[in-house]
Amino acid sequence: MADNKKKVLEMLAQNKISTDEAYRLLSVLESEGSTSEDTAKSGTAARMKSKYLRVCILSGSERGHGGKGDRVNVRVPMALIRSGMKFTSLLPPEARDKVTGALHEKGIDFDMRNLKPEDMDELLEALSELEVDVAGSDGETVKVFVE
Amino acid sequence: MNRPPMLMHVKIRGERRGFGLWLPLFLLLPLALAAFIILSPLILISILVFWPRGWRKRALHIFGAVFEVFNSMRGFQVDIQGDHHCIYISAI
Repeated sequence: MADNKKKVLEMLAQNKISTDEAYRLLSVLESEGSTSEDTAKSGTAARMKSKYLRVCILSGSERGHGGKGDRVNVRVPMALIRSGMKFTSLLPPEARDKVTGALHEKGIDFDMRNLKPEDMDELLEALSELEVDVAGSDGETVKVFVE
Repeated sequence: MNRPPMLMHVKIRGERRGFGLWLPLFLLLPLALAAFIILSPLILISILVFWPRGWRKRALHIFGAVFEVFNSMRGFQVDIQGDHHCIYISAI
């Protein structure tokens, strides 16, 4: 962006373009810049707007034959997840060690002591882009998404 | 700060019978205040007992976190429907 502006000014200095043309080119470059910033801002706003984590499960028979079967529909506010995650900082050190050990046994190399509030915010922001859509052979579906 | 939920709707239906409840959560705060006043002597004793052990800070954190979780519950909904049963919980 800044390089393009410099090029335009260099061309003007070298009398390759007129002042009117330079002005037009600079205004085009500025409008392009503001458009890309707006797009980035709206993307962040969309992520911040996501309010609920939804889990929808439909059994195969529910989808196939006139509403018979099991159906699970869970809606969890993102604020509740955020508050719930804060509980991890309240765990006593012994309990944290136990959790870390249990995770390590399962092959997950994750230390709860390293989990900071910034990491949680990042995790929740990434969660807003989550979308899981599983369709089974019998027609059952599992959907996990953020709305 | 989130607005706390005002009502909780609980509906449970079994094969033969079921029931539905509207729980006025907005009444919980005055009830909690009343319970706090009644239990204040016990709370005072426990504070004095646990003060030297450094539990004060943790207890305050837990109290704050529980309050925050309660405030974040607005919009929470669980809806499980089966052939012969149904469980519905919603915080409004």
